[in-house]
Amino acid sequence: MKKLNRNQTDTWSEMLALGDIVARIKGLRVPADALTWHRFSGSLLLVLLVLLFLSGAFMTFYYSPAPGAAYDSVDYALFSVPFGDVIKGVHYYGWNIFLIVMGWHLVRAFIVGAYKSPRQLLWVSGVLIMLLIPALIITGDLLPWDQNGFWTTQVRISIIASVPIVGDFIVRLIQGGPLTGIVALTRFYVLHILFLPALLIFLIVVHFHFLKVRGLSGPLFKKESQPETISFFPRLVNRWLLLFLGVTMALGIISWYWPAPLGDPADPTDSTFVPRPEWWVLFLNQLVTVFKGPLTVIGSVIIPGGLVALLMALPFLDTSPERHPARRKTVILIAVIVAVILLGLSITGYIEHFNENHA
Amino acid sequence: MKTIINVSMGVVLILSISILMRQQLAGAHTLIVTARYAKMAPQGLDDSIWNTAQAAQLLVEGREPVVGAPGTVTTRVLYTDERLFFLFKWKDPTHSITKQSWMFNGQKWVHLKGNEDRIAVLFEITRINKFATRGCAITCHSPADVPRKDWKFATKTDDEKGDLWHWKAARSAPYGYADDAWLTVAGNPTGSYRETGRRKDAGAGGDVKNETPDGIRPFYMQNSAVKPSVPGFLLAEEAVKITDYSIFKSGDIIPYRLPLKPSGSRFDVKAISRYADGGWMVMLSRKLDTGHEDDVVFNPKKRYSFAIAVFDDSGSEHSKATEPMTLLFSH
Repeated sequence: MKKLNRNQTDTWSEMLALGDIVARIKGLRVPADALTWHRFSGSLLLVLLVLLFLSGAFMTFYYSPAPGAAYDSVDYALFSVPFGDVIKGVHYYGWNIFLIVMGWHLVRAFIVGAYKSPRQLLWVSGVLIMLLIPALIITGDLLPWDQNGFWTTQVRISIIASVPIVGDFIVRLIQGGPLTGIVALTRFYVLHILFLPALLIFLIVVHFHFLKVRGLSGPLFKKESQPETISFFPRLVNRWLLLFLGVTMALGIISWYWPAPLGDPADPTDSTFVPRPEWWVLFLNQLVTVFKGPLTVIGSVIIPGGLVALLMALPFLDTSPERHPARRKTVILIAVIVAVILLGLSITGYIEHFNENHA
Repeated sequence: MKTIINVSMGVVLILSISILMRQQLAGAHTLIVTARYAKMAPQGLDDSIWNTAQAAQLLVEGREPVVGAPGTVTTRVLYTDERLFFLFKWKDPTHSITKQSWMFNGQKWVHLKGNEDRIAVLFEITRINKFATRGCAITCHSPADVPRKDWKFATKTDDEKGDLWHWKAARSAPYGYADDAWLTVAGNPTGSYRETGRRKDAGAGGDVKNETPDGIRPFYMQNSAVKPSVPGFLLAEEAVKITDYSIFKSGDIIPYRLPLKPSGSRFDVKAISRYADGGWMVMLSRKLDTGHEDDVVFNPKKRYSFAIAVFDDSGSEHSKATEPMTLLFSH
């Protein structure tokens, strides 16, 4: 019987012309610490991304991208479809946790100097992925067509419009007119479910390409012996599936007990609504608040753009081969100062927008 | 080093999730009224379990002629696995539990002043466009250039439906319920109202006018063989036709609106009420899901827009209403 099954498998592999790929996957070896208790953020990001794709795909079955129907379709998917609230919750908490883990992934890579030669482009592709995620969130926030999503989008559009030269053009491009209406909603929807995910997948493929070619960053202190390896399939894949199962269950339970919020339906005529910025843009929001009037561009473009440029250029600016953080004091000190400023801005933003006792 | 990384990761995740939770609870700009979960249903107005629910002070304001005299309705909300409970408390200097009662002045029957105290709560059965941000104003088609007599209490389209709970001191309180109605587009009026979008839920209830066909005197009186089940009120089921008007003397009073025994979906919202210390306390309760199409279904995972109006010894023109509010459930 065993032989028969093996023959069938072989036959299928041959029929599908996948024999070489299957053999290569079976023969692939990866470092033993590729997915362990102390190195899991990359794998966790992949788990979350898969969950975001799956939950998002499910929600498209019920979503109607028209201002008069969008809110009701989300409401229906959330509260009338069995386990709809869990699916929506997985999507909602998924991207929030994705941002946190992505931040941690970046910080860890920075601390252990994983951006250094020969992994410069691995780092750059990671930063590009990080820049794409906010675009997915921004386009996704408008889709439920609730008050918070609608008015938050208005704030973001006004910030984009303040960008010199290209601001108005970008707004026209994504909004399709002077107002946020059906054209804007359709464009945001298509961007959210089609173009941006496609670009994200492309960047992830590029990221994995560099990861495979350049390998994971090794230990900070060189070891005499050869690094221990394990098989990609089934050992690493099994670990990943275990992580997937655990995260899915955890997110499912959180979503069941604390459903994703859905605010009041959007009322474009209700200009009294003051949206509260999401936690991950609190520092950006404060920057825009600090630099007012003609200086807005400093807070909305120059400083954030400068930080992004610095991140992208980091592997080419810090070219010393030293990876241990204790021997990279200047770079670490600059990073700590930037982090403290961003954290300080976020805390003041939080106090301003969320502390009800704040006058 | 590994331990430090692991602990840091855990702390960051816990802090981040805490922030997310906090943000979720922060809510929007509309007033949030939170229904607290209770294992046991409150047994009345004075049940100490009400103290577990936060008291929301809801501002009610009126238009002409009561503009400039805002009031407050203190509201607590509880829910169990089966039912939702509201406790309303508001000041009302006049204890009005009659509605245009008849009085014999020695020569003829005349209507007394008095238009009962009321409280009404409006929810959405299906979404009413802009109700969440405009509240009752969006269902009251009363633009400034339209005469008051043409104002309509209705929704704009067939798809928009409201659920109206209407507690009336003279007409529903005697049977311990709030008249359960629903709101749709105006037209095809039923009952005694002018053309409006108000519709009665299925079942019996409401009241009948106690008047002769020519409308000049009462038609019914208390059946002397039956002890009034609700002292001070004349229930339709306990009334008999007046055969001899000579028995009445000057100053005798007979109610004009006789409550009918409620049943069916119209009897979904149960009520307990008391007038004391210059104000009303009214407790309304209803099943979370009645199974009736003319009722809003409460899902504790959802949020609900609603608004409240109080009426002090008055008709619709003297109502004071809240801004739109949001009802959230908290376990």
